[in-house]
Amino acid sequence: MRPALIGLATVAFAGMAFAQTGNAIPRGVDGKPDFSGIWQSLSGADYGLEPHGSSADGPPGVGIVTGDTIPYKPEALKQRAKNFAARATADPRTKCFTLGTPRGLYGSEPIQLLQRPRDLTVMYEFGHPVRTIHTNGTEHPEGHIDLWLGDSRGHWDGDTLVVDVTDFNGEAWLDRVGDFSSDELHLVERWNFVDRNTIRYRATFEDPKTYTKPWAIELLLYRRLEPNVQLIENYCALQEFEKYYPVPTLKSER
Amino acid sequence: MRINSETRRLLPLLFPAMLLVMAPALSAQGMRGWRETAFQPTAAGEWTGPKLPDGQPDIAGHWSNTVGNHNNLTDPQGPLGDDDEAPPRQGGQRPPREPRPRASRAPSRISDPADGSWPAQPWAKLKQQEFLKFLNNPIKPEYVEPFALCAPGGPSKSFMWHGYEIRQYPGYVVFLFDSGNRVIHLDNPRHLPANIKLWNGDSRGHWVGNALVVDTANNNSKARLGRTGEFVSENATIQERFIFDPKGERFTYEATYTDPTVLTRPFTITIPNRRVTDKTPADDWNNETFPAKHAGSDPVIEIWERVCVEGNGNHGQVVVSGK
Repeated sequence: MRPALIGLATVAFAGMAFAQTGNAIPRGVDGKPDFSGIWQSLSGADYGLEPHGSSADGPPGVGIVTGDTIPYKPEALKQRAKNFAARATADPRTKCFTLGTPRGLYGSEPIQLLQRPRDLTVMYEFGHPVRTIHTNGTEHPEGHIDLWLGDSRGHWDGDTLVVDVTDFNGEAWLDRVGDFSSDELHLVERWNFVDRNTIRYRATFEDPKTYTKPWAIELLLYRRLEPNVQLIENYCALQEFEKYYPVPTLKSER
Repeated sequence: MRINSETRRLLPLLFPAMLLVMAPALSAQGMRGWRETAFQPTAAGEWTGPKLPDGQPDIAGHWSNTVGNHNNLTDPQGPLGDDDEAPPRQGGQRPPREPRPRASRAPSRISDPADGSWPAQPWAKLKQQEFLKFLNNPIKPEYVEPFALCAPGGPSKSFMWHGYEIRQYPGYVVFLFDSGNRVIHLDNPRHLPANIKLWNGDSRGHWVGNALVVDTANNNSKARLGRTGEFVSENATIQERFIFDPKGERFTYEATYTDPTVLTRPFTITIPNRRVTDKTPADDWNNETFPAKHAGSDPVIEIWERVCVEGNGNHGQVVVSGK
């Protein structure tokens, strides 16, 4: 190639690179995709993972279950019906308990992802708990631990973060209408960018105690772009008790 | 212990019974690994240790205070405080005892004023004494320490509790406590609107040499400053400094409270902290980390999920009539 053409090609390449900057996915110091930011699902999945019509429980939705139907075992289907009947008080959300994994990702409040090469931290506004997805080559601890959010160990498959989640306590629900899994749940998540402001989240559920076969969900997480957006601690479980703790004042002493 | 919805509804009526149920578990609480009686505060200055790519001093990791728990703000190892030498509990309570000489236990966490006292207005001291009087016999819900309900400890009291982790990111320093989590914003000095009140407040900070300097507002001030009942109002502002030893082994926490509503003058809390490593003995208090399983030979420690939303926290028992 002659020098003039090389120069032209360089300019053209630089122009392409510049043009792509706006849409290029963010990457961390380790070159991996960087999911840091505040995100929220608009899937409406918390109102029901499966397709559902409008009801007093919430708006209609096409659901996020691949194939539309969760393959419950017969006994588990009865349990879901019991959950549904008791949902007003039995849903852990109504008690402000931690929503669990994956439900915490598609609740009604945003999440914040904080990323380092060694881990991805998921901070939930609702209840303000933290889930750590370890990406430092560590493995699940020996034995079974009862955790609301599970034990998460991830690795990168190209630009996709693949996360193996075990050690659930089996107490979290999957939505407001009683869908659930047990402490034997084995969740495999796949996180990847669609573009710099959209994450595709897929998860496969294996739980032989509850389901007849593995099944999957897929949803998108959208980056919250409001200039003043921030996660605000929501220790929702304390709301009913806050009235007992008025800060003493001089007036209260008189 | 887990509390179901029915129990939660009845909770205000059940507090005294809960305390009796909790007493055996509390008695089983082990010895603290660290219980220093004196310490040298870290001096503010240049940071000569390692830095993160964004320029922050790299102080990420596991830490714990070296003095004791939040039983007593101004005499942490004193007669109302956190002392393994205390006689066994009787009927769920520790009997009063003769304290060790003052010079042989940790100083007041209040470093200014110099006498270590909480400089509150007279009416506020009466309210503090009232809270302390009923701490072990909470005949009203307002006497139950919010920690018992899994509330965050608040900006300063969180550093009087179990070991915790610090994680750092561009724009943030994040504290993961045993009860609650706290985010320090480094990239935006503007606080949330004043009507938003939070258990851990709204924290805006920046680094000056080896010190993380934090301005905290928006406090709901519902968390007391110790089980001894000291408090500030919602109008309080807190200037905090986390001063790190460049070796990364220790840091001194300082918090200056300004609150004309409750105080006669500002006061400063000082708490020594030390890094928890894989060589720190596990004591279920200062060090609550676990060795991570991995194929390599280098030690990796980690904390597991700390979720306390099911109301399974405990209240703690302290004597309330010691000298």
